[in-house]
Order: sequence, then structure tokens, then C-alpha cells
Amino acid sequence: MLKPNIILVLKLTVLVLSISYLVDKVIFYSLNTLSDNVMTGQSIGKLNQFLTVKDSVDCVVLGNSRANHHIDVSLLNTSAYNMGIDGTGIAYISALTHSLDKQHNQLVLVHIDTKDFFDLNYNGSDIKTLSAKFNRDKNITASLKQSGLISPLQYFYYTINYNNKLTGILKNYFQPSYNYQMYNGFDPLILSEDQQKIRDEILLKQENEECSQLTTINPIALNYLEHIKEDAEQENKTYIFITSPIYNDTCPEDNLKLKKLLTEAGLTYWDFSNLFKDLNDTSLWKDETHMSAFGAEQFTLHLKQKLESISY
Amino acid sequence: MLFNSLEFLIFFPTVFILYWAFSKDYKKQNIILVIASYFFYGWWDWRFLSLLIFSSLLDYYVGIKIEDSKTEHKKNWLLVSLCSNLGLLGVFKYFNFFTDSFAELMSGFGWQVDALTLNIILPVGISFYTFQTLSYSIDIYRQQLKPTKDLVAFFTYVSLFPQLVAGPIERASNLIPQIEKHRTLNSTLIRTGVFQVFIGLFRKIAIADNLGIYVDTVYANNDIHNASTLTVATIFYAFQIYYDFSGYSDIAIGTAKLLGFKFNQNFNLPYFSRSLTEFWRRWHMSLSFWLRDYLYISLGGNRKGIVITYRNLLLTMLLGGLWHGSSWNFVIWGGIHGLFLSFEKYIFSTFKIKTFNAFGYVYTFAVVVFSWIFFRAQDFHSASNIVHKIVSLQFGTLFIGNINTFVNGLLLLCIGLCFDLNLFKSDIALENYGVKFNTLKLSLFVSVLIIMLCLFYSTSENFIYFQF
Repeated sequence: MLKPNIILVLKLTVLVLSISYLVDKVIFYSLNTLSDNVMTGQSIGKLNQFLTVKDSVDCVVLGNSRANHHIDVSLLNTSAYNMGIDGTGIAYISALTHSLDKQHNQLVLVHIDTKDFFDLNYNGSDIKTLSAKFNRDKNITASLKQSGLISPLQYFYYTINYNNKLTGILKNYFQPSYNYQMYNGFDPLILSEDQQKIRDEILLKQENEECSQLTTINPIALNYLEHIKEDAEQENKTYIFITSPIYNDTCPEDNLKLKKLLTEAGLTYWDFSNLFKDLNDTSLWKDETHMSAFGAEQFTLHLKQKLESISY
Repeated sequence: MLFNSLEFLIFFPTVFILYWAFSKDYKKQNIILVIASYFFYGWWDWRFLSLLIFSSLLDYYVGIKIEDSKTEHKKNWLLVSLCSNLGLLGVFKYFNFFTDSFAELMSGFGWQVDALTLNIILPVGISFYTFQTLSYSIDIYRQQLKPTKDLVAFFTYVSLFPQLVAGPIERASNLIPQIEKHRTLNSTLIRTGVFQVFIGLFRKIAIADNLGIYVDTVYANNDIHNASTLTVATIFYAFQIYYDFSGYSDIAIGTAKLLGFKFNQNFNLPYFSRSLTEFWRRWHMSLSFWLRDYLYISLGGNRKGIVITYRNLLLTMLLGGLWHGSSWNFVIWGGIHGLFLSFEKYIFSTFKIKTFNAFGYVYTFAVVVFSWIFFRAQDFHSASNIVHKIVSLQFGTLFIGNINTFVNGLLLLCIGLCFDLNLFKSDIALENYGVKFNTLKLSLFVSVLIIMLCLFYSTSENFIYFQF
């Protein structure tokens, strides 16, 4: 290669690295400023609100979309916040339990699903949803680093932390989705007529799930459970693990195995998977795994009774 | 190894430096390329390197034998190449398909035949390098090419990593002469190469992968979605597959440029076509020209009368469909294209026109999008369900799914389309677009693309065309 071409390649490399580094920082710090003021929306606002209220409420609900749509915390006898987020799993929950104030007396309801533990493809990547707080929140940063899922590129290009969040931030910054001061994190699923028809079609087609492969516990999920257990052992916290109802759970073996695992670890686990199984009432459901607002209300009332039985 | 992986980010600069360190000795460069290419391929599954080596050795030897043999024996050597290459492809790609189809056919007649289904893994890239080696032997047989006597050069031709696993299907007549001579890297190659690599990354990682999330969600539950949702998902798929594959080709062509090679253009804004005939001159050009030169023309092309011409067109497209995968859906996809190409041939010859007017853009896009339903659907049942719903106009509320994903997909698609529209108007091929930029402008452009990638990248397991 001729000398001028070597110089061109070097020049291009240096220029691209320098310019992209600078642009990256300008955008990153601008997004920090914007996102810190966003309190609505699932991409960042709900997390911001959670970090603000987590140490002032007496109960937090952690989990995935099922936690989000199934537990109406306004029906509970205590001040509470529902931090259920779509698509999250045990790794994400572990990072959040780690961020709770150790001194504050609190009930922590951890919503888990058996598939969180028996899916061998699960790699804990849901924790990356918290990347927007990487190097900005001490506890979350520690959890992210511990996960080993931080890309080396994230140390050079900080905007990766805002991957797939830009439109959500901009939308909620300029037009908040709701009044966050009145929001407790619970999102009821209210179905239109069209959605009810689709729901009925889905529920009609429910087939028996293949159960045989769901007996090996995912080591990554187990590792995160250990982390949560450490947080649960603190004096001021009461941790209760729950699984909310599903329409047709045909695999009781994995539930039993999960129950055994949690009980042996000294954790309290309430499995409500089959709570509504025999009712045959489709109005309780949005689809085979999510309950409608009506279903959520019925379930939360049942949960409330159960909590009262242990003086909560 | 994937172009959009962290491994490739380390692999390519290493190869680049090593390769140009030996710029005075192209033979040593070829050795480096073969080692690098085998490493690149072996990263996926090293066991299948044996197939690649076998195929390369076979066609190297057959090429020399065809050249050296007397006329009456040339055909036998060509048959050795055809049978071996197509045999390998048949076993690895189509064995289960044909045995299953045979069993189903027999059961249709009331005979129960147990299908002999084997657990066969499809070696990545086999459809591409098989076609490449086949074209080499056929070109020598047709006396359009002299065989190379340099084994390393031939191995480089077959395995050259930018095009090894998903094309473009480079012809020996274009690539081997470049491999067998001293290569240089000039400012034009650097600028156009870098530009094309980053455009390709943006097309694939940002546009295609974001659109893919919505498409996958809808197609996985096609039975519960209405016509509006299925139509939008199918249009999204049309752009997903375009940006996925053209993105891959851009990275391949750009990477090759940085190694001093000039590959042929593989995509030329196919959705800006006024007829399906034109579409196939712009879409996956290396495959469509391969099918034209080695299948359509071998069948007689348009030299044996109008009926045979239509038969040849249809047969070429059916086999072209089957090349994409062992499923009847791909055959139907090819059939739809074959039928419309025949229809166009009839219209053009009857009315003595070369192409359609502006309406042709809409017609072509509609036919192509319709055919993608069969290409994308899991099976025939799903495809027919989708077609039925769309045709019966069961429109309703559009399913959005994750609003962020949907909006991101739409936004990035608009950016991609604006860029394509600009290319279409400018009359400059993407392959040459990089020369418009000086070093600073190019650095700025690439930097912006990098930040866009950081903000919008979406993870996908693979490039769509890896499965073919």
C-alpha cells in the first residue's frame, strides 16, 4: 500500500473515532438532561419514578408485564408502587432489589414465572434495559457490571446506553403520557370489542404445552435468585415471591420444582397459577398469560386477603 | 462470524493490516486470505470446512481436466462437477424436503410411506459457494474461461470471506483475474469501501432488524391479526428483507474494496422498478444473472419459440425459488414471479413496448409484496391464511405492539427510503457514492451513522440470507 493511502486510512480512522466520540458525548449528555426530566413511559420514565419513590413506599411490586398488569397496588392496604415492566426477568428484578434502601421497612412482592427459571436460553439480557442508568446510578451500575453483559463498546460510545430509548424519551419529554403524580405503576388492560374477539380466539386455541423439557433450572436465573435472596435476608425487608394466574397451566411439574427450590432457599413463594383455572370465565383475561382489568382486580383482592392473613 | 459482531470488528482490522503488510507479494496475500476466510467460516462450525475444501479441490481439478480433455470427454468432467456439487446441495439442503414430500404424495394415494428424515444441519453458504464453483466449471466448458493452475488462487476465489456465506455470487471471470495479480488500494476504493460498509451496517442493523421485530411478532400470530396489520407487516417485511440482504451485500462489497477487490453490484434500488423484469435486473443481481446465464439460457432461453420461452422462464423462477430453501412456499414464490415475468413478456412483445409507465412502479411493488407473503410465512397454511385475510379486506384497528419498536422501525425506514430516493435521482450507484465525500465529510457522515447505530441498533441472530 502506498504511503498516501496509509495516511488516508489513518486519517479516516482517527477522524471517525474523534468525531464520533465527541458527537456521542454531546448527544449522551443532552439525553441525560432530557431523560432525567421524563417521568412517564416504560422506556425510562417509570424507572425514574421508581428510583424516586422506592424508598418512601411500604410495598414495591417487581416483575414483568404480568406483574405490571395483574397487581393493582391501589387495592392493597399500604402505600405501594408497581414496578412491573414488559419483557423483564429475574436479572432485572435482582438489580432493582439491590437498589432498595436497606434501612427502610418494606414489603417486596417479586413476581416470577416458571419460564424465568426453566428456559435454558435465558441469559439475563433483560438487565440491559437498565443501561440508561449505567455509570449514573451506583447500585444499578454495580449490577450491570456484575452481569458481564456490558459491551466493551459501551465504555467508548455512551449513547449505546440509550439504545432504542430515544423516541420514547423525546415523546414523553414533550408530551407526558399521563400524570405521573397520580400513577402507581399499575397498568390495567381494558379490552375493546375487537380485542375481546381476538382474546376469545386465542383462548379457544390454547393447546397443551410441552412440559418434558422444562425441568432443568437455568444456572443464570439461579444465580440471580441467589442475589435476590441476599437482599431478602436483610432485617427490614419482607420478600414474597408470587406467580400470578395463567389461563391454562398444564405443566404442574415446573411449578412444584420451583416451589421446592424457593422453599429450600428459605424464601416465601405463593403460586397462584391455577387460581382461576376452573372458573372458565374469559372476561378475566386479555390473552393466555395476561389478565384483563377485571381479572387483575379479582386477583389483587385475593392477594390482599392472603397478605392480611400474614398481617400485611 | 457475522459482519455485525464484535468479533468481526477485531477480525477485519487484523486481516487488513496483515494483508496490506504483504502488498508487494500477492501470492502471500492470497494465503492470508484463505487462512482468514477459513477462520471466518470455521468460527460458525469448523466441521463444514471439509465440505468447502472438498468442493474447491473438486472444481479446481475438474476445471483443469475439462480444459485438457478431448472434446468428447469434456462433458463427462462437467457432469462430475454438476453431479458432485448439486449432489452435496441436494443432500444437505433438500434431502428431508424431498423425502417428506414423497411420503406426503404417497399418502395422498393411500400408501403409507415413512419419511426418512435425517437430522441434517444446513452448512452456511453452501448454496452460494456451490453456485460459484459450478459457474467456474461451466464457463471453462463453454470456453469462456481458462482454468487457473494456481491452487491457492482458486481456494481464495471460492472462500474469499466477504462473499463466502451469502454472496454476492461472484463469477470466476471477474474475480480470479483480480486474485492472480498484484492488487492496490487507492483513495477511491477506500472512500467508496468505507462508505458502503457503514451504509450496509445501517441498513442491516438499524433498519432491517427494527422492522423485523414487528414482522416476526405479527407473522408468528398471523391467525389473530386483521388485514391492516398483516398488510403493514408484509410491507415491512418487503423492506426488511431488502435492507437486510442489500445491507449484507454492501458490507461484503465494501469490505472487498478495502482488500483491493471489485465485486459486481448486487442490488440497484429494486423497488424503483417499473416492471418485474426490471426488478430482477436490480434485485440480487448476482443470482438472477447466474440463473439467466446457467439455467435459462441452458434450457434454450428464448431461442426455441414462444411456448418454450415461457416454460423456461417459469422453470427458471421455480428452481430459483427452490434455491432459496427447501419449502413449497419458496417454489410458490418463484412460481408467482415466473408467471408475472411471462405475462410481461407477452405484453411487451404484443404491444411492442419496453416497460410500463409510472403505474408500473405500483404494479411491480404490489406483485413483489404479495409474493413475499409466501417467502416469509412459516408454511403454506399460514401464507394462505394471510392472503385470505388481506384479499377479503378484513381491515380493522392496526396492531402496533411495542410503540417504541414500531415508531423506530417507521422512522428508520423513512430515513432509508429518503436515502434511496436520493440515490435514484442522483444517477450515482451506491458503489460509487463515497467519492463525493472528502475525508472530513466522510468522517462526519460515518460518525453520524455510528451514533445512529448506537441509538437504534437492534439485535438479530443472523442475516436472513444465511438460511439459504
